[in-house]
Amino acid sequence: MRRISIRLALCATTALAASAARGASWELDLDLRAVTSNAATSVLDGGYGPVRFSEHQSGLQLGRLRLALDTPLGEVWKLHLDASAWGNAYRNPIGLTEAYLQFRPYPRDDLRVRVKAGAFYAPISLENRTGGWASPYTLSYSALDSWIAEELRTIGLEARVDWLGTRRGLPFDIDAVAGAFGWNEVAGAALADGGFMLDDRQTPVFDRVGELESGSGAYVEPFREVDGRAGYYGGMELHFPGRFLLTAFHYDNRADPASSDTVSHVLAWHTTFDSAGARVEYGPGWTLIAQWLAGRTEIAPRAGTLEWPFNARYMLLSRRFGSRQMLTARYDRFEVDSRNAQADGEESGHAWTAAYVFDPGRSWTLTIEWLRVTSGSYNQSEYVDRPGPVTDTQVQLAVRYALGSAGY
Amino acid sequence: MALLAALLHTVRAPAATIDVAVKLPDGQPLADAVVTVQSTGKKLAPAAPIHAIMDQMHRMFVPEVLVIPVGSSVSFPNSDSVSHQIYSFSPAKRFQFPLYRGKPYPPVVFDRLGVVILGCNIHDWMIGYIDVTDAPFYGTTDAQGTWTAEVPAGQYHITVWHPRMREQTPTLVRELSIESRDRVTLTLQLAKPMRPAPMEGGSPSWDGY
Repeated sequence: MRRISIRLALCATTALAASAARGASWELDLDLRAVTSNAATSVLDGGYGPVRFSEHQSGLQLGRLRLALDTPLGEVWKLHLDASAWGNAYRNPIGLTEAYLQFRPYPRDDLRVRVKAGAFYAPISLENRTGGWASPYTLSYSALDSWIAEELRTIGLEARVDWLGTRRGLPFDIDAVAGAFGWNEVAGAALADGGFMLDDRQTPVFDRVGELESGSGAYVEPFREVDGRAGYYGGMELHFPGRFLLTAFHYDNRADPASSDTVSHVLAWHTTFDSAGARVEYGPGWTLIAQWLAGRTEIAPRAGTLEWPFNARYMLLSRRFGSRQMLTARYDRFEVDSRNAQADGEESGHAWTAAYVFDPGRSWTLTIEWLRVTSGSYNQSEYVDRPGPVTDTQVQLAVRYALGSAGY
Repeated sequence: MALLAALLHTVRAPAATIDVAVKLPDGQPLADAVVTVQSTGKKLAPAAPIHAIMDQMHRMFVPEVLVIPVGSSVSFPNSDSVSHQIYSFSPAKRFQFPLYRGKPYPPVVFDRLGVVILGCNIHDWMIGYIDVTDAPFYGTTDAQGTWTAEVPAGQYHITVWHPRMREQTPTLVRELSIESRDRVTLTLQLAKPMRPAPMEGGSPSWDGY
């Protein structure tokens, strides 16, 4: 038995070494936080607070533990796996936030095609564009991106075509993307109940939002297929490298709001939205990002249709100082409306975020972030007795250590 | 013997000197600008082919801009610890090949005139330029933004080019007549700022996928 396990271990080591020789890479990140907060219990823990850590969680916390693997399969295919633990396990202590196979042939003339299959983020975010869908600017994502992290994932196929003007001597590229997906028909449920948050916890694929053991017993499983209809999205990007990026995006999960799962009785949430954004980079390290997202989610149980229009937008200004320091300020506004008899789910708020990132060396990153959210919601005042606009403040110091082999 | 004497005579003929200085709109020097000098009088042969190197360092092409005589070869040694997949679909040279660690790819011969724009299929922000020229005198400006050449007396057409310049071409072309032992200094100041340079490893906000 022992011999077999040694042989297995040897095989695994050989396989890993072989894939490393072919250019595989892995990354292990540990992100620890010192937190001070006066916020109410968050949606993630069964409350309605708008930030990740509540006053009961002030102290040392696990920000994120992440293991990512990128393996080329031949010259033009690659496999990407991204697993993370967030310190609050709902279903599994560690979960996959993304797992996909990518086909990326060399460009044919000035057209380049990329195809992804598996589970991954649709390319909506303008701030979360580094490894593990993290933001290089702040710890907490904007309200808009926090919602995407919480409830949205493409479990399906995506094709992207880039027209490479820059390789023709022009200053810009134009990219078009389209995706088809399933298993995301409860997206919108957590938004309609808990409203927008500003946090960095990403729901692993097929995991849930909210603590099962919490007082309310409420949780949402956004990654379910209820009616068997595929959703779709499409987007465009105009990109002047190093200067300007303009994006437009449309999403529709095409869930039939009148349908429900015959066994669990989970309802299908029809969620659709549009988004537009711009990023401007200027001179020695200035970045300005503005993004807007608006849509609605609806269900139609026997009593009739219930609908929640929502919108979120933010503006972020960041300045890099050399290659080691970055200072960022962001302003968020968000609203969830309610066209229902009760104002159930209605929310309105805004937030200020300020962050300073210091990168003292290859492996370490230190970030300090101050986040203040002022929000009022019907559910907060009705169910946890927090009437009117309430202000929550959370300050985090993050120490991140990243290890990895850069095979790519 | 007569041929050798003729050659020596040519070599010893008093040459003229062309100094080119290229400046940005704020007066700072522009390095890596390509300077080519073509004769408009007596026909001169293109410069002899060379072997040049365009390396891959910190996920960038180094140098970003290379000028080579037609028929030259270029090596892409890849000094990064990561793999690259470089390509070009420019009419002057089309190719694609992977650059794995420790597996050098044979040098590529550039036998057609024109600008070849290179990219990496893995690191989207990487962009490099190889200008293949038939000019008898060529080079790129140094860190001080200057370039110097010794040329025989004659009439010349001088062109200054950089891929990230936003000027209209005519502002960067000069016609020049030069006598033996003359020293002509040509100073060009750009009116428009350059497009931004590709950043080491891509800017943090660039697409990481």
